[in-house]
Amino acid sequence: MNKDEVQKRVVNVVCQVLGVDADLVEPDSHFVFDLGAESTQSVELVAAFEAEFGIEMDDEAALNVETVGGAIEFISEIVD
Amino acid sequence: MAATSTKVAQPKDRQSTTHRHPLESTFNPKSIAVVGVTPTPGTVPYDIFYNILTSGYKGTVYPVAPGKRSICAVRAYRYVIDIEDDVDQAVIVFPANVVERALKQCGEKGIKSVIVISAGFREVGPKGTQREQRLKEICAEYGISMIGPNCLGVINTDPAVRLNASFARKMPDAGRIAFLSQSGALCTAVLDYAREKGIGFSKFVSFGNKAGVTEIELFDYLHQDEQTDVILLYLEELRNGRALIEAARRITRGDRAKPILAIKSGRTPQGADAAASHTGSLAGEDAVCDAVFQEAGIIRIGSIEDLFNSAIMYGYEPMPSGDRLAIVTNAGGPGVMAVDSAVRAGLAIPHFAESTTAALRASLPETANLKNPVDVIGDARADRYMAALKAVLDDPNVDQALVILTPQSMTDIDSIARGVVRIHKEATKPIACSFMGATDVTSGVHLLQAAHIPHYILPEWACEAMASVQEIRRWRQQLIGKPERLQVDRAAVQKILDGAGAGYLNEDQALAVLEAYGLPVPTHKLCPTAEEAVAFAEQTGYPVVLRVVSPQVVHKSEVKGVILNLADADAVRGAFDRMYRHVAEVMPEAEIHGLLVRGMIPDGYEIILGAKRDPSFGPTLMFGLGGIYVGLFKDVTFGLAPIDRATAARMVSQVKAHQLLEGARGGAQADINDIQECLIKVGQLIDDFDRIVELDVNPLIVGPAEIGNAVADVRIRLSE
Repeated sequence: MNKDEVQKRVVNVVCQVLGVDADLVEPDSHFVFDLGAESTQSVELVAAFEAEFGIEMDDEAALNVETVGGAIEFISEIVD
Repeated sequence: MAATSTKVAQPKDRQSTTHRHPLESTFNPKSIAVVGVTPTPGTVPYDIFYNILTSGYKGTVYPVAPGKRSICAVRAYRYVIDIEDDVDQAVIVFPANVVERALKQCGEKGIKSVIVISAGFREVGPKGTQREQRLKEICAEYGISMIGPNCLGVINTDPAVRLNASFARKMPDAGRIAFLSQSGALCTAVLDYAREKGIGFSKFVSFGNKAGVTEIELFDYLHQDEQTDVILLYLEELRNGRALIEAARRITRGDRAKPILAIKSGRTPQGADAAASHTGSLAGEDAVCDAVFQEAGIIRIGSIEDLFNSAIMYGYEPMPSGDRLAIVTNAGGPGVMAVDSAVRAGLAIPHFAESTTAALRASLPETANLKNPVDVIGDARADRYMAALKAVLDDPNVDQALVILTPQSMTDIDSIARGVVRIHKEATKPIACSFMGATDVTSGVHLLQAAHIPHYILPEWACEAMASVQEIRRWRQQLIGKPERLQVDRAAVQKILDGAGAGYLNEDQALAVLEAYGLPVPTHKLCPTAEEAVAFAEQTGYPVVLRVVSPQVVHKSEVKGVILNLADADAVRGAFDRMYRHVAEVMPEAEIHGLLVRGMIPDGYEIILGAKRDPSFGPTLMFGLGGIYVGLFKDVTFGLAPIDRATAARMVSQVKAHQLLEGARGGAQADINDIQECLIKVGQLIDDFDRIVELDVNPLIVGPAEIGNAVADVRIRLSE
């Protein structure tokens, strides 16, 4: 899966879980500061990414990812 | 329930912006941005926004909630910099890892007052400390006054503002008491407690980690705040003792004096030294805090209950002219107990004037007790109570009154309460009540509370509260002198210090330092040989003492480095050789400079004069019972150097052992004046020389006045 595909699907998940419009979501968007993610939503995001990509992520490492771009990189490394 | 106390000031015109206090925007913001709001009720970010919105806030509030169009039907903004209007204050509720970004945007927007509610800073460890440091740097860059981080928030009950920028459950009633706390969790308990007691607040501030605004800046604001009569403080750490003293003194004395009552708990970053000196080990943070509070005029209180008990006594009632208390009771037992409590608390129980006794006789039954405490007898109703209360308040020998009620079957509790309320309205002397019990007295107690008459379940609590007010009164009358500077030889000490490296001075050098500052040092000589020792002993007179002098020997007794009572030349020679051999054997690395020879000091009381340079408080003095008992009894007091004569007198008189010095039990009276002067000089010494970090004179042997005092041992430690 190429990175563009990963990005597209990550943005989709973010919009669904956080309830934000896609035009607000950039690679350097910070989940909390730019997109308003609450602490419970961070956990939901991890679960949603796992479901979307059919992967398992290390919870602690995943919860330390703070930006959309960081999530794209993190997931890309797993799916590659 | 709104405050109705006659002490409530009418709202006045706000100050012009050219004379705005730096914290005006903190307490009276015209507009607030809550940065990091979420739409989920029950979360801190939501609840704070909701509280501001629903507390009756008179300004404008903007929620900053990324990704949300509105919160509670109020238009939301993605970033604080998106708000078109000027914003007076920001309340940041984001998680710690993004607070820095939010704060920077607040600075870019020109917001000068910020409250950071978020936890996750210095209190969580090194990573949090670094985060907090960055916040400080941003505040310095943009000139922001920051409350927090890690705090509950700020409340202002002024009807013109009505601000609840906190996540406390409810807005408290308006009142005249300001409460400042370093613990946010405690704040919520205090608010609930105060609500139950009918106590209102003017301002309520949880200042958390105090990375920006500290209690010192808050004192300054509250001093000029017309809504506040008394300041309550809960502190966990005391950083800058000197600045606190200056700020507190400005408030607690002089124009518009307001008392500060404080609870202090917890530990400072710099705890007590595990020092070789007694002063270092005894001058722990808590003991020195007592000294700081005393010098600042801050009344230290032991519990939250006592804090409020004292606050309402001061806040609701006029300042008494003196300490004389009249008690009116319908039960003899509680009356006598109240007398005991009053006397223990330092209050006086006066005899009544003839006119008072006559007035009481005319209105009370024969079985009543007309002396103080006035016992109106168990079947008394409102008429007897009011007659007695009026009579005692009119007595020129009485400064304040305590009304005790026990609920007998015929006691008309509510009528008595209403009667007290009526008299209280016209009274110029303070009145407190103790309606003893829990259920039958409830409605009467509520009547008293609604009229802001101090009420206490037990008479002893009333007495303790009145005693606190006496402490405030005495502090305001106390003369504060300038530190006393006595004639000393600074140059001689400077010369000794210039020749010494870091660590302990040799005893002969340390004695020379004390001698230069006029302390009573006995004649002595450092002798490198036995013959020199004998020659000096012959000259001084026997018996003499030998003491080893070596930079490596700090505790002489551990190496048998002190021999007393040497009566002749042979004894001196023998002891000299023995000591040299023994020290060399048990401590081969010790470089022995010689043995100090001096005359035996006559027996006397052993006291300790200590000084220590504390990282938080600066030069600190200690005085107390010394010698081998200092660590056992810890009968010591503290002050901040340099001191004036009054402080020296206080320090000496506050130790239990001072009675011995004054000639108790047939003992000889010591020269107390000289002891006070020695204490002043030790304070002057550590204040004059930054390199002195610790100084122990232990013991100073105190003899009868005609013989005088003498330094028997001294240790002085220098820094680089």
